[in-house]
Amino acid sequence: MTAPALLASVVNPAGRVGQLREATRDLGWAALLALPALAVFATFTFLPFVRAIWLSLNVTDIVGSPVTFVGPAYYLRILGLDDTSTQTYLRSILTTVEFTLLVVPVSIVGPLALALLANQRLSGIAFFRTIFSSPVAISVASASVVFALLYNPSVGVLQWLVNGLGLHVKGVLLDPATALPAVALVTIWTASGFHFIILLAGLQGIPEDLHEGAQVDGAGRWRILTRVTLPLLTPTLMFLVIISTINAFQAFTQFNVLIASGGPGGSTNVLVFALYSSFFKDNRYGFASAISVVLFIVLLALSLLQYKLLERRVHYQ
Amino acid sequence: MTAPALARPVTQTVAKPTIGVALDVVLYVLLGVAALVTLSPLLFALSLAFQGPTLAPSIIPDLTRLDWGVFVAVFQREPLLVRWIVNSFVVALAVTAAQLATSSLAAFALVYLQFPGKTVLFFVFLATLLIPWEATVVPNYLLVTSLHWKDSYAGLIAPFLAGGFGIFLLRQHFLTIPRELYEAAVMDGCGRMRFLWKVLLPLSRPALGTLAIYTFLNTYNQYYWPLLVTDSAVWRTTQVGITFFRSSEVQLFNLQMAATLVVTLPTLLLVIVGLRQLVRGLTAGAVKG
Repeated sequence: MTAPALLASVVNPAGRVGQLREATRDLGWAALLALPALAVFATFTFLPFVRAIWLSLNVTDIVGSPVTFVGPAYYLRILGLDDTSTQTYLRSILTTVEFTLLVVPVSIVGPLALALLANQRLSGIAFFRTIFSSPVAISVASASVVFALLYNPSVGVLQWLVNGLGLHVKGVLLDPATALPAVALVTIWTASGFHFIILLAGLQGIPEDLHEGAQVDGAGRWRILTRVTLPLLTPTLMFLVIISTINAFQAFTQFNVLIASGGPGGSTNVLVFALYSSFFKDNRYGFASAISVVLFIVLLALSLLQYKLLERRVHYQ
Repeated sequence: MTAPALARPVTQTVAKPTIGVALDVVLYVLLGVAALVTLSPLLFALSLAFQGPTLAPSIIPDLTRLDWGVFVAVFQREPLLVRWIVNSFVVALAVTAAQLATSSLAAFALVYLQFPGKTVLFFVFLATLLIPWEATVVPNYLLVTSLHWKDSYAGLIAPFLAGGFGIFLLRQHFLTIPRELYEAAVMDGCGRMRFLWKVLLPLSRPALGTLAIYTFLNTYNQYYWPLLVTDSAVWRTTQVGITFFRSSEVQLFNLQMAATLVVTLPTLLLVIVGLRQLVRGLTAGAVKG
């Protein structure tokens, strides 16, 4: 008998030490196996997050060291509540919301239509499914480079469309009225592949006998779609609404490649772009950190909403 | 969930009435139009690439005079394009390999090992999903700068060596494997590591495949972080490289498009080959049918 086991049998004949040993027997292994991931998260997620909160309460120097503690001053600035009462950042928040509203509905309804089409039993349908999924491979940066030329007035592809709708002809990215929708369109296209994949899977998860039952009861195609298919698809739709909202709030690449500034009249200066300009161009690390914390709070609220809604598994039956 | 999208075999319906045939024709027309719209940005890029250095390209190129040489010319015009592709592959492969390793180990600990603080560890990993990249980008940029990791593979790779998504994807998969397998293996004197390597990981190939494709795609397509941590042109990745190439060759539409198509090709091929794999793994977690 080993010494600890002997000790255990003396001190605790009922074997509670044994149970404790049972509960902790893998502690060493667990620590060792979780360590690599924990070290990465500590270095690049948790500590930076704490540091961002601290920086957001300070004026920083050119290398990002805190110089003067200013408390919530930057947050008041962002919300337009301090003496300067600048509305720039409140406007950024509104622009971000507007961008999200432009992106989310279309980027779900469009792929939904594609998924309904691709869910038909036709020969060769796998080919179409691959095509509809293909935008998942294309980076936002590549898509933005292509769309930059599509939008280029000298290429003239959009010219007939622009003329037809009576819009300005100087280029959609230079007009405050069309710049944000133009960026939204790139976003919708690049997101469509992933959304299509998820929606088609959702459609295929609906038991077929439900459709057949409705058909036997004499329901038409449209009625089956609106009364059976879509209600049963609500969990998938909710998932995509939240995910695409979060992604729209984080969109940066398309703004930097297509516009690379606050846009015509500041019309595309979304929050993430304002964050980037203030730290990467202006070296205002404290202020940029405050924007990032505001963004974190908004995204956290959206994530929590997602868990709540998905847990309830909305079904309205 | 029953069968996941695209993984389900496409079955032919037998003997359709005439109305069914007419409907099929309508469906094919709709599918064709939708496919054309979906592919239009890529077709547009291809069309412009083929038309030579013109400032007034047309929508459809002259099919008898396609300029295939543009795909060679672009490598001559931008010799660093090869280096950018190498950079992107090095970074994406390293991050993918590291995430497979760190996620497997962490998920194994979460599912199979018994230790105090297991719940805490679970929530620590969960928290990483709730802290968005933007909330840590300023300190991370300052950290990498102070370590002199700008313009290096270390700076491009290090922040992504582990990911909450991968840990939870593998945890979900490990939970579907009967626990008795582990208990029996350990009882027979099979070590924990041996079980992980010889039993669990081979059984988890589909989930690992999904994670690998997903991580590779995301890393290869990164833009924001590589933009921040690369100052010299040699260290750019493809995504940052093509956007700089675009601003330096504003007038050369064909070369811009050729460069973009060249760097998109690897991920496009990966998706065409690995689509079923990707779909099967992703939708198992995302869609609760």
